[in-house]
Amino acid sequence: METLPDSLTTPLVELLLSIADDKLILGSRNSDWTGLAPILEEDIAFSALAQDDIAHAASLYEFVAQLTGDRADRLAYGRQPEEYRCAQLVELEDGFDWANVLARQFYCDHLDELRLSRLARSCYRPLAALAARLLAEERLSLGHADGWISRLLGSTEEARQRMLAALTALAAPACALCEPTVGVEALESAGVYPPAEGEMFALWSGAVAKTLQGAGVRLDLRPPGSEYTGGRRGRRSEAFAALLDEIAEVYRVEPEAAW
Amino acid sequence: MITNERIRRVLETIPDPEMPISIVDLGLLHAVRVLRPDAEHDASRGAPSPSHVRVEIDLIPTFVGCPALDMIREQVCAKVASETGCRDVRVNFVHEPPWSVDRISAAGREQLRSFGVTVPDRSSPGAAGALVPLTVSGAAPACPFCGAAQVELTSRFGPTRCKMIYYCNACRNSFEHLKPV
Repeated sequence: METLPDSLTTPLVELLLSIADDKLILGSRNSDWTGLAPILEEDIAFSALAQDDIAHAASLYEFVAQLTGDRADRLAYGRQPEEYRCAQLVELEDGFDWANVLARQFYCDHLDELRLSRLARSCYRPLAALAARLLAEERLSLGHADGWISRLLGSTEEARQRMLAALTALAAPACALCEPTVGVEALESAGVYPPAEGEMFALWSGAVAKTLQGAGVRLDLRPPGSEYTGGRRGRRSEAFAALLDEIAEVYRVEPEAAW
Repeated sequence: MITNERIRRVLETIPDPEMPISIVDLGLLHAVRVLRPDAEHDASRGAPSPSHVRVEIDLIPTFVGCPALDMIREQVCAKVASETGCRDVRVNFVHEPPWSVDRISAAGREQLRSFGVTVPDRSSPGAAGALVPLTVSGAAPACPFCGAAQVELTSRFGPTRCKMIYYCNACRNSFEHLKPV
């Protein structure tokens, strides 16, 4: 279909903001590493991936803005903290620890690949077209993250231990990534967000486990209880406000400034 | 008289800011529309002057986050306006159909190769969106300078969003290869 029924606008905005907010916040956190990544090639790669994440967020904000008559800049920088829909995992400070950064990226990229694959099959054609394009780029990011995780886990004992520690420490917030957005069932039954071939947490944890298994690692990944409410419902961690203050600084001074 | 064909010829002279070929050879051009917004224009006065025409051009970005998009838009608007006299030129960036290396013309591929930039084959599995492992694989390009097959992937990320870096162990040159999307 070419136009979206009004009743699906709010659920779709919730879903697209959850993806866009994940990417904006993750891309902003990762931008902190420009100039600091372990080797020159990785510095270029990681900066490029951060740029992709923020650009993907921008394209999704623009899509939402056209649905609701809003402005992409306001969606990105002009909301109250509780109006953001990112998972808490992307908000967390990484302590400038490269293993933390890779673990976070790895967990997030696997979810993005699943979400975008579903959206690329959407019956809402303009959305499917955008998602297909984002998905092709997302796979480059996912391959990069999988590659780092595999190589560090298969490297020296210190590298393996530090990578394992980070993967374990972030496992709990990562398992909350699949928290459903409000109204997602309506999008699924309408074919706007076609159901995956299985339950999302099982697919996500299965994909994560497959890469880890290649390095001989098994993590205990369990979904939060069904009563869990977190980032997708606007519950923000302490770190979020400071991050938003920083990335929204220019917007607050000059809301009409061009990106 | 402004026609689609004339606009296309103008676009063929506009180089991509990051690639030594035209934006048309790179496969960015999707559609051109020449519109005459003043419907009440009196047909008896003949063809509308260029200043009464609106030109809309749909371009497909290589990467969603390509930082050259604003520059491309400015160059297209300025050149189409100066070459045709049209005052209302609009550029839309669209994602359907998605850009892929398959959209690069044969002439564009040859021109890129002569500048030391290789392009994944149309038929290579990578072009379908599969991942290229960070090793020399069957899909590795031949060196654009000496033709040798002894090349290795140095970095999956290069100087622009759409390129990666290879190194030729035969002639010891680095070269750029477009990402297989």
